[in-house]
Amino acid sequence: MSHKPEQGAALQPYQTNMSRRQSLKLMAALAASGMLPALSGCDTAPPATKTAAPTGALTEAHWPDLNLPPLTGPGYGTDPNLILPPESPWPLTLTPAQLGLLALVADILVPREGAVPSASEVGVPTVLDEWVSAPYPRQQQDRITVLSALAWLDDEATMRFGSRFAALTRPQQLAIIDDIAFDTAETKPQFQRMAKAFALLRGLVVAAFFATPEGTKDIGYVGNTAIGGDYPGPTPAAKAHLDKILSELGLQEFAWKA
Amino acid sequence: MTTAQNDMPEVLIVGSGAGGAMAAYELTRNGHKVLLLEAGRDYDPKKETPMFKRNGDAPLLGAATPDKDFGFYDATIDGGWQVPNEPYTSAEGSEFMWWRARMLGGRTNHWGRYALRFSEHDFKGKSRDGLGADWPFEYKDIAPWYDKTEALVGVCGTNTGLDDMPPSPDGVLQPPPQPRVPELLVAAAAKKLGIPAVPMHRAVLTRPLDNRAACFYATPCGHGCSIGAAFQTTTSLLPMAKATGLLEIRTDAMVKTVTTDDQGQVRGVSYIDKKTGAEHSVTARVVILAASACESARLLLNSKTAKHPQGLANSSGQVGKNLMDSTGANIGALVPALQGRPIYNEDGHTANHLFIPWWGHQAQAEKKLDFPRGYHFELGGRFGEPGANIDTSLQGYGKDLKQQVKHKYGAYVSFALRGEMLPNPDCYLDIDPEVKDKWGIPVARFHWKWSEHELKQIAHGLKTAKEILTLMGAEVGELPPPEQAILKGGQIIHEVGTTRMGASKTDSVTNQWGQSWDCPNLFVMDGGVFASNPHKNCTLTIMTLAMRNSSWLSAQLKQGAL
Repeated sequence: MSHKPEQGAALQPYQTNMSRRQSLKLMAALAASGMLPALSGCDTAPPATKTAAPTGALTEAHWPDLNLPPLTGPGYGTDPNLILPPESPWPLTLTPAQLGLLALVADILVPREGAVPSASEVGVPTVLDEWVSAPYPRQQQDRITVLSALAWLDDEATMRFGSRFAALTRPQQLAIIDDIAFDTAETKPQFQRMAKAFALLRGLVVAAFFATPEGTKDIGYVGNTAIGGDYPGPTPAAKAHLDKILSELGLQEFAWKA
Repeated sequence: MTTAQNDMPEVLIVGSGAGGAMAAYELTRNGHKVLLLEAGRDYDPKKETPMFKRNGDAPLLGAATPDKDFGFYDATIDGGWQVPNEPYTSAEGSEFMWWRARMLGGRTNHWGRYALRFSEHDFKGKSRDGLGADWPFEYKDIAPWYDKTEALVGVCGTNTGLDDMPPSPDGVLQPPPQPRVPELLVAAAAKKLGIPAVPMHRAVLTRPLDNRAACFYATPCGHGCSIGAAFQTTTSLLPMAKATGLLEIRTDAMVKTVTTDDQGQVRGVSYIDKKTGAEHSVTARVVILAASACESARLLLNSKTAKHPQGLANSSGQVGKNLMDSTGANIGALVPALQGRPIYNEDGHTANHLFIPWWGHQAQAEKKLDFPRGYHFELGGRFGEPGANIDTSLQGYGKDLKQQVKHKYGAYVSFALRGEMLPNPDCYLDIDPEVKDKWGIPVARFHWKWSEHELKQIAHGLKTAKEILTLMGAEVGELPPPEQAILKGGQIIHEVGTTRMGASKTDSVTNQWGQSWDCPNLFVMDGGVFASNPHKNCTLTIMTLAMRNSSWLSAQLKQGAL
């Protein structure tokens, strides 16, 4: 074996550390699911170009046709306890390999910035596992998209560079991400479908991140806290900004008066 | 099983929402013994409201699901667009959505708390434009009852002096909260077009009232309100009525029929105890239906006998007819000028501080508009708590991605149109000949079609909102056709009209007191009695009519008239 490529950080198994979802049950489920095949996309639908030499060259269009049986378990019902929401409302379904890949991608999307943790550090992959494992129609639809996107990443990595996504060097990983992370007029035709799937995955990761206490602090939301007396309204800085934009939009003379 | 005679309530009320709870309050206050039946379970907002909970602590970030259509924390229990084991159907080619709750307090536990008075203009639409039906009273007849209801419920807002917003007497309205930046920007842009934006009237306390606390400007009202600031019957009217010692409440009591004697006179109701499945009969001097417009109409139609072959109280044939909802459409845009603005706490009372009331009375009088009835805009856009809004329009990754999210935060402004629809012969409910619910009760079947009036109104609203957003510097893009933009029948959850009141027994179900023309000891006190459906949201008027009509009923009972 010759020189081993620098490996992506997420070859470390993803371990949840999110408070509500940190449970022995979950860890047991993750351990048990280690018996399962890594990614159904690679197992069931070998890409047409698999035999081509991995040169790093751009691939042709491909899509993993996953055969996912529907999740038919119960939801949390029409009268759940709202004060103590269910810890784990339905069985989680992602394999450790899928969670690991998800953690890697989530951290490319939302990396650590100084004191602000990355997506995987605040348990985002577990939130997405809960999302794609939910027995509701929207989430079942998203499950197909998210799992297909994960499988696509490994297929693409294998075709382009000869290894699964997690085993690629960071520049190799980013070469693929750069092709799919911008859904614009310039997106190459073979990446357009994946760019749309990636947009959903990104939207879910971003929502899950900012809904954590750390993410909520990072975006700056300061509400959901009791105020004594009257609601104070905009701060002086917010009022000054409003005055500025009213002026720029030619609306100052129409400013609202009580 | 029949309740023993000495336990017999004087008045039996079906439903504990806005109408039923107000009737219970007013009647017990006047010394009448009341039995109230509620189809849902008991519910105590003081113990069960998820105050201060974070979206991130809920399954799926609090997202809406078929189990909880308005999100995990929404107060609605065993309800939403579907109720377990209690289906409804739509006729071929019709689509109608029916929101129900199966809980004490009904839909008042989660409602929007928008509480706008109807005006003389609203009550006399037919006299003005020949469409729909007039109400059988004048604004001046009901104004004192609005005063009393607002004072009891607690409504914040101001007297704006606008023709669409009749004033309350001094001291009735509580002070409204300060407007927030997106609302102030909308207000300025609207004013340039000659369109007013004013404080919303909302059934949220900004000052303490009775044993209810003032709002502390946190935690969405739709979750319910454990401190009683946001009005719901379970923290106000029902405990007040119970304190008289004259109110008995039975929950999990699903009323099946209104029972009548051989002469066709109303005797009481028959209900199913959902916990045991057993059927019970109760009798009373007077029965008040306040089960919601569609549920009460269903009940009457299901109570047909040889004496009442078309259904009870239905000699006019109007029960189930004249079904109306509010029109609804949403339009919004990212406002570049609001991007990156200074962050502050914009929760406020968690809904509109300012809104846009209908400003087009004069234009309609001058025949400058191609639709007969008005609408208002509710305004959205603030620094909200992060949750399950999945934005698939983001680009890229890493620091730039996070920057995009932060830049957009609090910069999206939306307009929710709520308009008056006119009754039309295509919109009604009847009883499905095949389908029954778990309790063996035949279910409601809905028929629905919007008319040109509503579609033209929606087109006008979309165009107007676009003009305002454009003045705010937003790019709105091409507007959808109104047929596409208009929300579905029932979706605004303002369904009314199915047992309408009127001046004549030939074309209405009740008189102005909500008293059935056919059965004098049968009353309806929910939105079913509305003769029209002004755009201003129905709950305040349901409560006001229930108070006024229960007061009248009390006087009748005391005179021995019933």
